[in-house]
Amino acid sequence: MGGRIKKKRPGFYLDMTPLVDIAFLLLTFFMFTAKFKSDTENEQKFKITRPVASADTSKLPDKDLATIKIGIDSVTGDTSYYYSLSNETDRKIVYSSDKVQIPDEMRQKVILKVDIKNLEALLRQTRMANIRMRFAIDADKRIAYKWIEDLMEAMRKSNATVFNFVTDRQN
Amino acid sequence: MGGGGGSLGREPKVKRGSFATKRKKKKRVGFVLDMTPLVDIAFLLLTFFMLSTTLTTPQTMEMSVPPETENVEVKQSELLTVLVRDDGQIFKYMGDKNTEKPMKVSVKELRAVSVTENMRMENKLIMSLRISPKVPYDLVIKVLDELNIAETEITQRLSAKGMKRERKFALTPMTPEDVEDLKPL
Repeated sequence: MGGRIKKKRPGFYLDMTPLVDIAFLLLTFFMFTAKFKSDTENEQKFKITRPVASADTSKLPDKDLATIKIGIDSVTGDTSYYYSLSNETDRKIVYSSDKVQIPDEMRQKVILKVDIKNLEALLRQTRMANIRMRFAIDADKRIAYKWIEDLMEAMRKSNATVFNFVTDRQN
Repeated sequence: MGGGGGSLGREPKVKRGSFATKRKKKKRVGFVLDMTPLVDIAFLLLTFFMLSTTLTTPQTMEMSVPPETENVEVKQSELLTVLVRDDGQIFKYMGDKNTEKPMKVSVKELRAVSVTENMRMENKLIMSLRISPKVPYDLVIKVLDELNIAETEITQRLSAKGMKRERKFALTPMTPEDVEDLKPL
């Protein structure tokens, strides 16, 4: 075995400077573009397979965003509404509202599992807390339209008449 | 780096700028910084960040529902109804359903239907989209997507004529009557 090891050539030197330059350039680029998992995603116990739509749609904003997720629980297979807000200050106000009937230990969470009645109350409170809030519906593509129809009715009632469907880009 | 090679290369340099180079530090011959660990760590971090970044950002499709107080009266002659049945089949009819028989259309045809009917009526047409509650969300988005694509085409064609696009389609709940109408088809 020892015989196969190449003798290190004395005085051989490979200039790695350009390599290091490029490596660090790419490293800084990826470090700055990296987006880490938000609190919402950490608490989420289901995975959403989004439907695809053609291009020419706009991107989702980062702040002032209320997301209504309709997901299918991967363990129980139940469909439910999940509500989350991007701003922490709004979250505190809206989640602690007495108009929303949820158990107190749930109010500390980032993402709330709610029924349609509480969702409507949440939407209304959100509208009151922050008028610039935008609404996004992030639903699994397998769910029935009934869930969307009920949600749209709730949004109409709480005056959140403009909203966005979250989709994936078509390849 | 060989010492002999280094000294050979340096000879003319000193001669050329003997005055200016006096203050410059002499490059140390044979000085090598081992950059291998640096490169190792750099590439490790690079691969980590490369793999952890998600390149596909979600997109959005804007929709709006009329406010609760608003109740729009529509002339039947200006109404195009598009129905999506439980099994995903799409039907359309123009105006009064008693005189017009619902016709079957595919998702792909929907765009052309929307464009031609809207151009024929020139801004007056109101499209009512009625989707059965049992239809999967995937199909709903496909239908809305087609109508949105049609919308851009209509807007373009109308602005070419000097008109501004006003009316869009509306999502309306499916009535039990609609369900009955679609059963025999």
